[in-house]
Amino acid sequence: MKKPFLSSLLFLLLALVLSLAIGSVFISPAEMWKIVRGVGEEKFAFIIWNIRLPRTILIALTGAALSGSGAAYQGLFRNPLADPFLIGVASGAGLGAVMAMSIQWPYSFWGLMAIPMAAFIFALLTVFLVYLLARVGQTVPTTNLILAGVAFSSFATSLTSFLMLRSTSEVRRALGWLLGGASQAGWTAILAMLPYLVIGLGILVFFGHRLNLLQFGDEQAQHMGLNVTSTKTILLVASSLATAAAVAFSGIIGFIGLIVPHLMRLWFGADYRRLIPLSLICGAAALLLSDILARVVLAPQEIPVGIITALVGAPFFLWVLRRAKNQGYW
Amino acid sequence: MFRKTLILTLLIALLIGCAPAPTTPVVDSAPAEAPATEAVATEAPAVSAAYLVTSDGLGREVTLAAPAQRVVSLAPSVTELLFAVGAGGQVIGRDEFSDYPAEAAAIESVGGSMGEYSVEAIVALQPDLVLAAEINTPELVSQLEDLGLTVFYVNNPATIEEMYGSLENIAALTGHDATELIDSLKARVAAVDEKIAPLSARPSVFYEIDASDPAKPWSYGPGSFGDLLIARAGGFNIGSEAADAYPQLSLEQIVVANPSIIILGDSMWGVTPEAVLGREGWNTIAAVQDNQIFPIDDNLISRPGPRLVDGLEALAKILHPDIFP
Repeated sequence: MKKPFLSSLLFLLLALVLSLAIGSVFISPAEMWKIVRGVGEEKFAFIIWNIRLPRTILIALTGAALSGSGAAYQGLFRNPLADPFLIGVASGAGLGAVMAMSIQWPYSFWGLMAIPMAAFIFALLTVFLVYLLARVGQTVPTTNLILAGVAFSSFATSLTSFLMLRSTSEVRRALGWLLGGASQAGWTAILAMLPYLVIGLGILVFFGHRLNLLQFGDEQAQHMGLNVTSTKTILLVASSLATAAAVAFSGIIGFIGLIVPHLMRLWFGADYRRLIPLSLICGAAALLLSDILARVVLAPQEIPVGIITALVGAPFFLWVLRRAKNQGYW
Repeated sequence: MFRKTLILTLLIALLIGCAPAPTTPVVDSAPAEAPATEAVATEAPAVSAAYLVTSDGLGREVTLAAPAQRVVSLAPSVTELLFAVGAGGQVIGRDEFSDYPAEAAAIESVGGSMGEYSVEAIVALQPDLVLAAEINTPELVSQLEDLGLTVFYVNNPATIEEMYGSLENIAALTGHDATELIDSLKARVAAVDEKIAPLSARPSVFYEIDASDPAKPWSYGPGSFGDLLIARAGGFNIGSEAADAYPQLSLEQIVVANPSIIILGDSMWGVTPEAVLGREGWNTIAAVQDNQIFPIDDNLISRPGPRLVDGLEALAKILHPDIFP
């Protein structure tokens, strides 16, 4: 593909339009056009502007955050299996959310905010703890980070399962959250997560060159004048911020952060200066398409989007991988 | 280390700060403590203009200008309550699980079988009242409320008597009178109570909700309607000493408790008394040896609606067939 940015932006635009146009309530394209001009039927206009638009934005931001962080993690750890949940953001957030759900909060604005806030705080605490555990003197060896992350994740996940089994009444709520979905879709969620995404993802976009250098290995990169430890730390903080904020409101949506960066690498090459922004754009589009499927496959029943991403994403990814000419892309 | 902690704290503070104030003011419950004049002045016109102001299970104040004519029910128990008070014709949307009475199946579904509801399908129905229950998350309630819908949250009743309260609430919201219905339900419960009271023998019961793993079946524990109804129908529920409302009892515990009756709440999933007779390790239990195994419609026991009384009568018949012919 000659113009990766043009084609991926067009792809995103298409996904955004489809996400607004498709839902369990049928709204015809003609009606859509009327609504855009402000003369549509009030009921449908309300659905478009107050339900589909905030959900579309939330899903797009979440997809961008997960895929962008996924690309950065894969570069940072130089590991094709890395995804944004590798060192514990998801399991930490899950533990925080389920802990918050086991408390009877009063029905109020802050009572409802308690769950995303607990998820966000626990996600960051987990990464922070894993970072401390993995540190050896002044350096943070990648292998240590991965191992500490995986071990701590298992610990947090089993605590989460235990809590869920203990409080049978909240299992549905907890499961819904853990499988991912825009259950709190609304402008509040978007406004609350936006600053973290802008800061976190902004840093990642500007760190493309440094990620390229990291691919030569820590020592080599150091020789080329890169402060490896601080670069890694900044990348880790930026990715974790974006991921934690997205997960806090959208739940744990797996797989997107793993395959979108891979697809971008397969199609457009491994230069992180392009890989990161392309992953952001296509990650948003890919999650939007998954969410559309989640809404329509069994309409009016909605399926947690985390189920769709892997159910549809995995076969698609395998298909692309099989027919790729460039098998040694990684 | 300290600096990192500080940064983390600041970030969290920022998240809290970034969340905008709630768009609709949260109505706090206690007007009794509020400094008098102002509160009264603002609330008075609302009260006089409204058909009904009542507080719901989340402690929110719900105001209706007129009896609700377009109701969406988000729980099977609520659908049953609605039909029981005669508001079935006003129900225009229901959750996926609402299957009783049979007429409910014809009503448009708004999802819910995977925990997620189609908010836009609910909005498109333009209901004047959405009835939620404990099966629904507070997030869903707030989302619907933010979209301008009137939501009433029905608390799960803890006793049959509290269920009458649910009936009264729902009757009031939909402009019906449940007095007659409640009186007849009370009379039926009293009839059971009266026959059970003099009995001294309380057969021990194992109630099976799910035995996909026959070594560790699920049952009703304290705080569940199953436990309550078994006791009220003159039985002793062997799960009543468990730690929570829906415990998993091990086969060992069941063998030691040696129930004289087994009730199959999972009969609606195809479990038969014959299947229980054939289970390995179960043949030492008295109920299995005497073939005292009975299927039941678990929906009568598990849904906190008017059919709980049917459930009570069904249990009484199983436990004391001699006095409940």
